[in-house]
Amino acid sequence: MTAEATLLDIAGLTFRYRRATQPAIRDVSLTVTPGEVLLVAGPSGCGKSTLIRAINGLIPHAYPGELSGSVHLEGRSTGELKLRDIALTVGTALQDPAKQIVGATVEAELAFGPENLGVPRAQIRDLIRMVTSQAGIEPLLGRETAALSGGERQLLAIAGILMMRPRLYVVDEPLANLDPLSAARLLAILRARADAGDAVIIVEHRVEEALSLRPDRVLYLDEGLTRYLGPVEGFLEIANPRAVKLPFDVVLARARAGGIAPAPDGGVGRTATGTNDGPHPPDAPGTPSRLEFRGVDAAIGEHAVLHGVNARLGQREVVAVLGPNGSGKTTAFRTAMQLLSITAGAILVDGIDAKGRGTASLATIFGYVFQSPSQMLFARTVREELAFGPTNLRRDPATFDDLIDDCLRRTALDGLEGILERPPLSLSFGQQKRLALAIALGLQPKTLILDEPSAGQDHQTAEAFMREVLAIPGLESIYFITHDVDLALTHADRILLFRDGRIVADGPPMEVIVDEARWRACNLTPTSLMLANTRWGGRDDRFLDAETLALRIAASGQQTSAGAEGGIGVDAR
Amino acid sequence: MSMTMSRSSLWEVTSRTIVYAAIGAALYGILLVAQLPIPGSTVSVRPAFALVPFFGYAFGPVVGFFTGLVGNGIGDQISGWGALTSWNWSLANGLVGLITGLAPMYMAKMVDGNIRQRAIGGAIAGSIAVVIGFLFIFSDAILQGMDVGTIVSTLYIPVVVGDLIGTIILVPILVYAWEPVKAQLGR
Amino acid sequence: MNIAPRYLGRGSWLARRDPRVLILVIVLFIFTVLQVWDGRVILGLLVLSIVYYRAAGIPWRHIRRNWTIVFLFIGLLVTVNTIVTGGRVRELPVEGLHIWFYMPLLGTPISAESLSLAGTMLMRYLAMATIGFPLAFAVAPSDFGIAFARLGVPEKFAFGIDLTFRFLPSLGADLQTTIDAQRIRGYDASGGKGGVLSRLRRTAPVIVPTIVNAVAGAEDTIDAMDLRGFGTGKRTWLRHLAFDRTDRVVIGFFGVLLVTATIAGFAGVTSVLWTPPLLIELAGG
Ligand SMILES: Nc1ncnc2c1ncn2[C@@H]1O[C@H](COP(=O)(O)OP(=O)(O)OP(=O)(O)O)[C@@H](O)[C@H]1O
Ligand SMILES: Nc1ncnc2c1ncn2[C@@H]1O[C@H](COP(=O)(O)OP(=O)(O)OP(=O)(O)O)[C@@H](O)[C@H]1O
Ligand SMILES: [Mg+2]
Ligand SMILES: [Mg+2]
Repeated sequence: MTAEATLLDIAGLTFRYRRATQPAIRDVSLTVTPGEVLLVAGPSGCGKSTLIRAINGLIPHAYPGELSGSVHLEGRSTGELKLRDIALTVGTALQDPAKQIVGATVEAELAFGPENLGVPRAQIRDLIRMVTSQAGIEPLLGRETAALSGGERQLLAIAGILMMRPRLYVVDEPLANLDPLSAARLLAILRARADAGDAVIIVEHRVEEALSLRPDRVLYLDEGLTRYLGPVEGFLEIANPRAVKLPFDVVLARARAGGIAPAPDGGVGRTATGTNDGPHPPDAPGTPSRLEFRGVDAAIGEHAVLHGVNARLGQREVVAVLGPNGSGKTTAFRTAMQLLSITAGAILVDGIDAKGRGTASLATIFGYVFQSPSQMLFARTVREELAFGPTNLRRDPATFDDLIDDCLRRTALDGLEGILERPPLSLSFGQQKRLALAIALGLQPKTLILDEPSAGQDHQTAEAFMREVLAIPGLESIYFITHDVDLALTHADRILLFRDGRIVADGPPMEVIVDEARWRACNLTPTSLMLANTRWGGRDDRFLDAETLALRIAASGQQTSAGAEGGIGVDAR
Repeated sequence: MSMTMSRSSLWEVTSRTIVYAAIGAALYGILLVAQLPIPGSTVSVRPAFALVPFFGYAFGPVVGFFTGLVGNGIGDQISGWGALTSWNWSLANGLVGLITGLAPMYMAKMVDGNIRQRAIGGAIAGSIAVVIGFLFIFSDAILQGMDVGTIVSTLYIPVVVGDLIGTIILVPILVYAWEPVKAQLGR
Repeated sequence: MNIAPRYLGRGSWLARRDPRVLILVIVLFIFTVLQVWDGRVILGLLVLSIVYYRAAGIPWRHIRRNWTIVFLFIGLLVTVNTIVTGGRVRELPVEGLHIWFYMPLLGTPISAESLSLAGTMLMRYLAMATIGFPLAFAVAPSDFGIAFARLGVPEKFAFGIDLTFRFLPSLGADLQTTIDAQRIRGYDASGGKGGVLSRLRRTAPVIVPTIVNAVAGAEDTIDAMDLRGFGTGKRTWLRHLAFDRTDRVVIGFFGVLLVTATIAGFAGVTSVLWTPPLLIELAGG
């Protein structure tokens, strides 16, 4: 850090939300100087967003609560400054881009900030020209924000902040729901700002990717407390690889140093988790596949989305679906559930054409879990909520109580006392996700379909959730859509790779990842774990998670030049 | 912006007010067009309508008014009728939202009561608002030169009855669903 | 679910006008029509509205359905009105009516006057609807906010209108998702037995999550607006609106029309119902 005047100075900051019983952050102190990049990491609920709100003035201006300590921007306390003035220094990109975009068109969105500050029209035009080229989003000009893909939205959100010309950029989990390529582009923009002398504070679970931003320091929060604040190297030495996602070479080094305890289940995604023992026995020859796409075309409105999709998903396997934003992953499964009619081809379920078969009856075979659980919760109590499906299907009400108990047990919700009478929407996000699972299980499906089960959760939570799902007894197969490459590779028997409404790859993880060119063509950048697996793994041709693989290598004492494999993040040092 | 809001904050217009108002208006417009069908019913019941009293009740008169006024305008806009052609109807909808939003003024006890009372309070305030607010469509007598009797029999009665049913049934359900969420939202 | 308003008139002569023109014209025209009861004049206004409508260049095939609805609605209202009023026509004693025949059952008289009233009302409605359509299809949705702001609507609310249009497509998609999610649980919006009440209750699974999620999800939007200084002072609008000569002419024309109608109305020239002599003869008067 240079002797430059500090931009941000936080001293002994503690904050408790009005409704909360205890502080969300405790005694946090840090300073940020121009040109500096600070990475804030930590498990879900540790206070990252709260810290950000304290920096951009929402605390105390918009969020009442109990605040102690001080936050100074360029020497002035945020408490005294108006939000309007803070906005001139601090630019914030919030967690969910889709929600913070307020303009119907790209131009409107970009102009919003300056408009509010009364910037003259001509000047706004110049700004738009400059920012769009800075962010490389000229092609988006003239588009309607509703028609943008998740990745494009995130870039636009950042551009909207660039329009304000702040000195300090605060970005809250920008990589969630982004395919790796879009993620890389976004980080490049931020890096450029830092090089230009502005400061950047980025909150991110995906530490591995975030490292390519070459942060100067890392702040690691846990339960609101500062667990670590200092240079990256030090962080990588102390960070728990099961809590945050670290580059493989780091994990390996740690393993060599004996810094990692063996995984409880030997790491191989599902073997010990009991869906059934070991990797699924492949379908016996001749058994029809559970779900088959035969040259399926589908369109949403005039917009053709699927082009001749061919795939067979087995009765007893775990399939992960990967692909860029807007490549048709969700659409494909919507057609499978007859929620969207296909324009060509056929969809077979257990070998029989599903045409004309009702969505409801398909739901007894496929339990479909949407990305956002709350989008289906409406009932007054969890019991009503769980009884809704079976009632619709005219199941015998006498059986409901057992059924409901069973569903809650299988999703580990039975622990919460009084759960049956709780209003579903009063549950935490994680609990709601599990309730969504329970609801799907309520129709006793053989197969589970999950759309982005890991979205908006940290590495640990996502891993844990995935393991839970795979451990649910009585399921034959699980198909899941995700943007978390390593999650997919470690847990799936098979990978389907989507691109522009087509399937461009289909096979076991170890086979799919071989073709790196194709991988990159799908906006997927090889993770260090992938590269490591291709290099060292393949013993029992299962894709291993970082810890297990590292431990094996360490044990077998193979000589490696750690760093050569690192992929993203290696250049961090 | 909350069920138990102080009288003074009733008319405050913040970013929150505007966002809730816009969401209400958009949803009302959408649901009007989506037309969740209630087949086989003599009176035309519009489930979407319950949104107007609910938004007024939960988020205040300003939000309620905007939701009804702009929402109905958007509905007409999308259906082709044009947002302004039957502006007096949009205004009537707006009045319903506004009057419901004033509940803290004329039925403070229920509004500040337990969730059951608040749910019932919503239904009552909404009903009052429907009966009063839609009186404004009698302006059609002047605007369209319609006979008052005609308005009563062909417009006022059917609309009010239909929307009363919708309000009484759906507003309490919405209040019950919204309260636990509200408790979790920040600020 | 694709709910976005359709900007069908894009590029047409009316679409190139300042959006405020389309708004003002409707207001001026409606208040003109209000004061006219002479069918012959109304006919003229109807023709005018059609000419104006044509200038919006809205492709017919896209809005056939919209017009059908309009016709049905108007038709119903007028018919009922005629029957209910039983030919009791403003400033015309029931005795003075030239009755054609009495409605079977109802016994209400169908007279030359009530028929001309019906015809006149029909044309009045049509004229107003016709003038209204261009606003729906020939104004860029993103222009409404600024247009109303420049017409004196407080800026915050004017922006609220823009925000409403911004929410339409995304909330429409959310509604679709919720409907899908419930269908997977065997839910069927249209189906189900029972009366109005139980049917209404059956809409809850769709309406409740859609509304609750939309509002709960608003927190970020609110923060994002506060963080970019919304409502903290006078704002500028990127979109610049200025009347050109044509705009002024158009508004001027409709303005004059209104004034004329008002004067003529007070003079009692156009404000009384006109009954075609033919109809009276047919009534044997
Ligand atoms: N409601 C809709 N209206 C119009 N187009 C849509 C709609 N939903 C999706 N699309 C389009 O269909 C295409 C595929 O969408 P889909 O949601 O299947 O992609 P995806 O692979 O699930 O993307 P993501 O990873 O971002 O969820 C995209 O181009 C998208 O823009
Ligand atoms: N508006 C609020 N009112 C009350 N409590 C809140 C509010 N916002 C957050 N909290 C609580 O404060 C703690 C920290 O929340 P915060 O959102 O800062 O965590 P986070 O690190 O951002 O989590 P995530 O990674 O999931 O975004 C959590 O326990 C949360 O429940
Ligand atoms: Mg957060
Ligand atoms: Mg998707």
